[in-house]
Amino acid sequence: MTPTRDAILEHLQQMLRELASDWDLGEAITPDTLLFSQLGFQSLDIVVLGTALQERYEREMPFAELFANIGQRQVRDLSVGELAEFVKEHVGVSATP
Amino acid sequence: MGARVVVIGLDGATFSVLDPLMQAGVMPRLRDFVESGVRAELKSIVPALTPPAWTSLMTGRTPGRHGVFDFFRKDSPRSQHIRFQTSADIGCETLWTLADRAGLRSTVLNFPLTFPVPRIDGYVVAGGWMPWRQLRLGCHPPGLYDRLAALSGFNPRELAMDMTHEEKALEGCKQEEYDGWIDLHIRRERQWARVAAHLMCKDATDLVAVLFDGVDKLQHLCWRFIDPALEHGVTSDWERAIRDRCLDYFRELDAILAELIFLAGDEANIVVVSDHGFGSQIRTFFVNAWLEQRGYLGWVDGCASHVNDSQVLGMARLAKHVYELDWQRTKAYAPMPSGNGIHIVRADQDHPGGVTDAEYEAFRERLIGELVAVEDPVSGDRVVARVWKREEIFDGPYLELAPDLTLELTDGGLVSILGSEAVVQPRPHATGTHRPYGIFAARGPRFRRGVRVPALSILNVAPLVLYSLGLPVPSGLDGELPFETLREGTLLAHPVRYADQAEETVPHSVPAGPELSAEAEMEIMKRLRALGYVE
Ligand SMILES: [Zn+2]
Repeated sequence: MTPTRDAILEHLQQMLRELASDWDLGEAITPDTLLFSQLGFQSLDIVVLGTALQERYEREMPFAELFANIGQRQVRDLSVGELAEFVKEHVGVSATP
Repeated sequence: MGARVVVIGLDGATFSVLDPLMQAGVMPRLRDFVESGVRAELKSIVPALTPPAWTSLMTGRTPGRHGVFDFFRKDSPRSQHIRFQTSADIGCETLWTLADRAGLRSTVLNFPLTFPVPRIDGYVVAGGWMPWRQLRLGCHPPGLYDRLAALSGFNPRELAMDMTHEEKALEGCKQEEYDGWIDLHIRRERQWARVAAHLMCKDATDLVAVLFDGVDKLQHLCWRFIDPALEHGVTSDWERAIRDRCLDYFRELDAILAELIFLAGDEANIVVVSDHGFGSQIRTFFVNAWLEQRGYLGWVDGCASHVNDSQVLGMARLAKHVYELDWQRTKAYAPMPSGNGIHIVRADQDHPGGVTDAEYEAFRERLIGELVAVEDPVSGDRVVARVWKREEIFDGPYLELAPDLTLELTDGGLVSILGSEAVVQPRPHATGTHRPYGIFAARGPRFRRGVRVPALSILNVAPLVLYSLGLPVPSGLDGELPFETLREGTLLAHPVRYADQAEETVPHSVPAGPELSAEAEMEIMKRLRALGYVE
């Protein structure tokens, strides 16, 4: 069964909350939390997070496109909600055999 | 019951450094261990590079069969895009997946390409490119991270990769940075030792494998203070102080080895190994600049970043040549500063300047001929000792992912991929670089005592570990069980069992790693530079 957007967002927030507690980060994780500027992520962190998400949802996702998209933005950042949306878009597609 | 087999990896360890340290009393416990067991030099694979070499050690297979050739992986055989390399890229069984299948438990600490973590029975803490902020995701089983976090002195920033530390080392030529870098690695090894000791005490698994990577890092940055052959050049107070600090590192490492060997107990078979050795590099061969001069490579704006620019312009320029090549004019290029590999561009719509299938063989031969003719302008010596065609050194299902050509330089060094006016330049100081021969030392009930045997291959280690675990040795491995290391009577008491390896590759449950963004690629280049790979 395909997970809902809310389920993905909840899982992602939970995961980031756990990680953030390991860095003693005081901020709460919400859908608006920005990965680069607020969580201090670097590009490789996103690649690693992406790898973990691909494993969890057993699906390859076009992170290169997501990166290209972020690169064109005025503010080069990505929110937790947007990442959940991206995951939702790609787990929604049925798996290729 | 304690562990049956303990594998202690020392990245880049070499007897030319360790022997004098053992003799001088800097590493007395390692000396006792080596002298009372069986020792040999351990020949690495080509390329003698950390990710493929450790993968060969942990699978018993050559890169063409396990699929790991470098720090990165090409997206597809003819692609210029690189992907993040993950555990899913290992195309065969590892020691721990084989042990797991046989119902044995393993503890695997700090090995490259162990993320996403293999879901084996036992414990895994991923190494390699594991960023500290996400170390929790690199720990298996769930709950392990919290257990480790409760250990006194636990600091994920020092245990895993922290780019801010690595960036400091980028400017590593600053004298005041050396001390901190060495100290960081002393603390880092202590952290890994504490994790290993904790797990060995609380719940010893059948196999324990732990990798310490500080030897390689220190030798990359501090070679001229460590290599006994260069000791005469250590003359200033600062240089002597740095050499002393390096010796402190090796003293600490000796204490750590002693503790782990003690915890393993007399019943365990203990193997201490490295993935490759180390030696001096005396000159720089700017291979992409050479290709440009020969008309085989073009940069988009006509000029590459140069050595000195990298200080001024920062990493943005340094990394750009990897993806800003002019495909109208580029037939061959070296993408990474680590594996001495040249990739030949194949002609298609996106690469109009590439080499057609009909031209390929003749082009490759011409390139080999021209490469081996490159001379050092000062000494007149040849720069390139040998050029390997892909199929001469690799074999197996991943052959197509290998570089078309792999160079072996006469000074044993690694190429530079930067632009330069002169294609060959002497180095101001000899720097440390990988060499084919690493170390092997083993002690335990199954091993001979107090002997040296001729060089072994890194491919001999996996069958040896499996045999020592009491497991059958799969027939498809690329290395043999090294009988010469075994004590008399061992084979009679424990006959070798062989098993047919049904499948050549393992179907992956885990998707491949994401393609890297330009920025992530740049971070990889930064890290490689911090590790000593880009001059
Ligand atoms: Zn190494």
